Amino acid sequence: MKPYPIRVGRLVAKAILALAGFLAVFPLVWTALNALKNNVDIITRVPKVIFTPTLANITYILGRDSVLTGLYNSVVACGAAVVIGIALGLPAAYAVARYPNRFAGDIQFFVLSLRFLPPVAVAIPLMVIWLQVGLYDTLPALIVTYSLPTISVIMWLAIPAFQGVPKEIEEAAFVDGYGAYSVFWRIALPVAARSLIGAVAFSFVLVWNEFLIALMLSSSNAKTLPIVASELSQQGMNVPWGILNASVVLLSLPPLLFLGVLSGFLNSVFRQKKN
Amino acid sequence: MRRRSSLPVTFLVPTLAILLVLSMVPTLYAIVIALQNRELSSPGYSWVWFSNFADLFTDRRFLNAVWVSVKWEIVTVVATMVVAIGLGVLMFEAAGPRLRNFYCLLFIIPVLLPRVSAAFVWKFAYHPLYGIATYPYRLLTGGLIFDPLSKPATALFAVASVDVWQWGLFFAVIVLKLLETLPPQPIEAARLDHAKRWQIHAYVTLPMLKAPLISLMFVKMIESLRSFDLIYVMTRGGPGVATETLDMYAFSQGFIESGKVSYASAMAVLMMIATVITFTMLWKRVQA
Repeated sequence: MKPYPIRVGRLVAKAILALAGFLAVFPLVWTALNALKNNVDIITRVPKVIFTPTLANITYILGRDSVLTGLYNSVVACGAAVVIGIALGLPAAYAVARYPNRFAGDIQFFVLSLRFLPPVAVAIPLMVIWLQVGLYDTLPALIVTYSLPTISVIMWLAIPAFQGVPKEIEEAAFVDGYGAYSVFWRIALPVAARSLIGAVAFSFVLVWNEFLIALMLSSSNAKTLPIVASELSQQGMNVPWGILNASVVLLSLPPLLFLGVLSGFLNSVFRQKKN
Repeated sequence: MRRRSSLPVTFLVPTLAILLVLSMVPTLYAIVIALQNRELSSPGYSWVWFSNFADLFTDRRFLNAVWVSVKWEIVTVVATMVVAIGLGVLMFEAAGPRLRNFYCLLFIIPVLLPRVSAAFVWKFAYHPLYGIATYPYRLLTGGLIFDPLSKPATALFAVASVDVWQWGLFFAVIVLKLLETLPPQPIEAARLDHAKRWQIHAYVTLPMLKAPLISLMFVKMIESLRSFDLIYVMTRGGPGVATETLDMYAFSQGFIESGKVSYASAMAVLMMIATVITFTMLWKRVQA
């Protein structure tokens, strides 16, 4: 096989890739830099790369009660919804993966179809319902609401993860006298753990980033961090930009912590496919 | 080997029951509200049956919102797939294993960001005077102002670019992984036949990946419906109604402008019916 004569094409390809890589992260890096700038260094016609950094924006953000409450609400609402998603989604996924029945296809489609529901269509009636039962603008209402996406997403992603566990291991455990439940606890869960953690991380990122439902279901007490962050800008562009940038950085950090886990999860999904 | 066990019942039934309750209660209630005339400002209401729906079809702003939503779907889905396939193929062709891993990590970052964060990042970047993305234009034109978010002609595309930034780059990673799962023989055979690299992809690899690529497009179509956060932060549906999608209009009817909850719910119900029917049909066809 002769080598391809055209080197120019490869160079162009590399250049496009480098540009895309740059575009992927630069806006975020720039936001992080702006979070460290005084306002005069942000509002410049020519972007300033060299400036005297300040921590004022970050300390201001972390000192605001609204931001801390938002952070607390986000952590509690998303954390609790993810725990519920794990408790209900993983066993159900295992049952679908390992005990095939004639409804398995329908169940999987039903779980997927929950994603088709437009968020507004869910948020409007839920607002009315939570108002009527007196739970509007409370964390329990948000947790229950968020359980729908966490359970369904964890279930959807965990089914293939459990199917990826070699059947022989489980059969061997049955031969050794394990019951169905202990096979799930002691064999399937630990063996599939890596993929399952990816699924759980994905569901967390999904609800952490959720905006519309949180916006409609909270008015003061139960505001999550995305709502608080967006409100900082309501006062127009007169708000010190550095503070807004700092709040964007704070909001973005938790999902980015899962970058490693999620890219490992992607790799394992496709490695399974290849085999 | 597996004897009869209570496991499938105890593991499945509670979860499915809860999922059914959590999804059907709001869905049915949305329909109930849509048939009434509830408003945020007053507790009383009565049944008006289909008059909300009838009003919608003579509401020019609603028809505009339908059109904007359709445009949004087409623009974001097509652009995402083009970017994803383009960059995926480029990584496959021009990057070694280590470089591929590096780009994959970079390309996943934008999609992990909350939409609100992504929207803010780009809203700053698109600022006509101080934005980093408009800086090259200012530099080249000697300080002319380019304000993509406040022009009706460009606003939708400016917001869509953020969506593509998040999803196109992420899908590029998936396209690369899909290409990596292909068996090497057909590619080798095409090479021996002196096929050019782009020909190999256009006629061999991408057709082989048709099914997963269609599934990917399907996922993007669903996710594109969730445009609210981006539009809410970046343009609020403006300028005028240029970027007012259905969910944005429903939100502003229900909560910002008039508090017509029932009217908003009627819109949401129409959206729900349209999307559930469309996607169920598409999904069944994809699976078939």
